[in-house]
Parts: sequence; C-alpha cells; structure tokens
Amino acid sequence: MACSREKQTLINQYMDEEMTLQETKQFEEHVNSCAECKQHVTELKKTIAIVQSASHFEAPASLTANVMNKLPKQPKTKKWQMWMRKNPMIITAATFFLIFLVSLSAAFGGEDEIVVRGEGHFIINESERIVIVPEGSSISGDLLIRNGDVEVNGEVEGDVTVINGEHLQASTAQISGDIEEINEAFEWIWYELKNFFTKVIPLGNNDGSEE
Amino acid sequence: MDSVVKKIVREVKRGNQDAFAELMELYKDKVYHIAYRMLGNSHEAQDVAQEAFLRAYMNIESYDENRKFSTWIFRIATNLAIDRIRKKKPDFHLEDKVGGTENLDYYSQFASEEELPEEQIVKLELQQWIQDEIMHLPPKYRSAIILKYLEDMSLKEISEILNLPVATVKTRIHRGREALRKRLK
Ligand SMILES: [Zn+2]
Repeated sequence: MACSREKQTLINQYMDEEMTLQETKQFEEHVNSCAECKQHVTELKKTIAIVQSASHFEAPASLTANVMNKLPKQPKTKKWQMWMRKNPMIITAATFFLIFLVSLSAAFGGEDEIVVRGEGHFIINESERIVIVPEGSSISGDLLIRNGDVEVNGEVEGDVTVINGEHLQASTAQISGDIEEINEAFEWIWYELKNFFTKVIPLGNNDGSEE
Repeated sequence: MDSVVKKIVREVKRGNQDAFAELMELYKDKVYHIAYRMLGNSHEAQDVAQEAFLRAYMNIESYDENRKFSTWIFRIATNLAIDRIRKKKPDFHLEDKVGGTENLDYYSQFASEEELPEEQIVKLELQQWIQDEIMHLPPKYRSAIILKYLEDMSLKEISEILNLPVATVKTRIHRGREALRKRLK
C-alpha cells in the first residue's frame, strides 16, 4: 500500500515547481490515484499556506535613532563638509577664521570641484559657481578660487588668484594685493611651483633685512 | 532603486552619517522582521537588528558595491541571529517548548492601550501559533524557511545570504517544510 520512497523526490520537485508540463501531468495523475501522495501534497500545500499567512510588521520606531546614537562621533570638520555638501545652495554668511579649504562639489566628482582657500567671510553660490566676498567683509590674507568665479564687494588684504574662473570686481572692492587669473592647466602647475619655491626657497630678498 | 541605494552607500563610505540613516530606513523593517522570525522575541530581534546595522556601518568599506546591499545586510543579520540562538541554547532540540511568557510576546508587536476585540485576539493567537511552529524548527532549517516563504526570496538570493550552495538551500527548505508538515497535520 505504501507508495515508494522515491515519491518524496517527486513531491519536492512538484512543490518547487521544477517539473516540466509533461512531468507535472504524470505526477498529478499519480496523486489522484494514490491516497498517500495525495494526502502528503495536500498537507504540504496547507503548511506553506499557513507559513505564508504569517503577517509582516515594522521595526520599532526607535531603531534608527538607537543605531545612529551608537555610531562613532565624527570630527567637526567632517560634519561641516557634509553639511556643505548637503546644503550647497544655502551656504551663505558663514564665517571662517581658519585657513580653510573646501571641496564643495566633490559629490559630483571630477575636476570641476570648486576650491576656495581664504581666511575670512565669503559666500559660495554653488549653482552659479561663484564665490562672493560681500560688502563689509574682509579676507585677511590671500584668496584663491579654483573652478569658479569670484566677485569681490568687500576687502581682500592679500592677492586674489582665480584658476579656471573670472574675477568680477565691484566699485566697493578693496584689494591690497595682485589679481591673477589663470585659465590653463600649464599655468596652474606653474603657479603651484612658483608658490612652492617662494615658500620653501625665497627667491629674492630685496629689502636686505637678513642679519 | 538599485542606483539610489548605490548613491546612498557611496555617501556613507564618504563618511556621511545621515546617509546611513536613509539606508536604515530602507531596510530596517525587513532586517527586523527576519531577526524576529529567527528569534521569536521582539526584544532580541531589536538587539540583533541594531547590531547588524552597526556592523554594516563599521564594515561599510568591505561591502562590494557590485552586489546587492540587501543581501549583505540580511546576511549580517541572519548570522547574528544564528549566533545568538547558539549561545542561548547550545543543545537545541525540536521538542524544546517555547516558554509561556514568550507566548505573550507576539502581542507586543501590536502594542495597544485599548482592549482588543475578540476577532483580533483570535488572529493574534493564530499568528503566535505560526511563530511558535517556526521556532520549533532547528535554526538552519528555520532561516531557509523564513527567507523562502516569509520573505519570498529566490534560491540564489538565499544561497548568497546563507553562504551555502543552492543545492544545500534546497535540501534545507525540503527538510524544514517536511518538519513543519508533520507538526501541522
Ligand atoms: Zn503515491
């Protein structure tokens, strides 16, 4: 009376839907004439239906916050850069008193990122790709902008250097040093080299103050 | 969907913690649900889900972007759940009873101040019974059955999550399914 043990393999194939149409037809014919297999298949189908009726539910609301609170604290500068990246349009009126280098659009990758190096108060408008020194503000040393324009309405106590960008100057602007626009890669390298040498090996010492 | 996830993962790799919160929002329900079904206990499920995300954050550099993030996080979560089951019950037996207090646990999923109507209670009891039956499966069959029949995953996905050949996954599903059938008939 007992159906053969090999039927278990066929039952599994049938339940996994791994049979051809022909095989399925043959197997179903057998099932209809074999009480044992019929019961087995019925029970399996019922079991799966029961398991699949298990409801889904959501995670506790506090889960994300709990994990976020356990993440290692980030250094301030990193947080700040993240904030800059997330809010590129509303970066206004931020004041910086440290020498400062920002890769604003690092998120967009490539060579086009706006780099600003300066000490003081400036505004970065990322959509217009322009750095603004507002009226009444002053940069206490040199100002360097790469891959963006600069508009000086306030004061720059040192040189203004624009690489791959233009310099726009308002009538209110006061720039104590030189204004330089560099728009070619070669010039940029040259500029960096010159800077390197003037910093490390002073090229000239005209005032003769060395003792 | 996948490209959105990729973008978020890249942000996380760059150190953007807020992006990690976004990632969690996408997967927390499934991760928690798998953990709950594996452990049958909401408190432990929350623990395991949190630990899984913490580990994911700590090891985000080792995540291979060419593979699905879901597979990776589900794998971390199932491994943690299985570890916890092993620690809790070094000699797990099919006949181990699920304790009486744990039977109440299912209700905590639907925490409510109001008294539940009769119909609702019957439903909850039925649900608790299903979970109890799942808990009677040995963990290696349990994980395969949960991923296959509750999470509706393909054999390939399950094999990647459990780090097992597809043939082994199939065997586990067959055996788990048979064990459940014998109890439920
Ligand atoms: Zn038969």
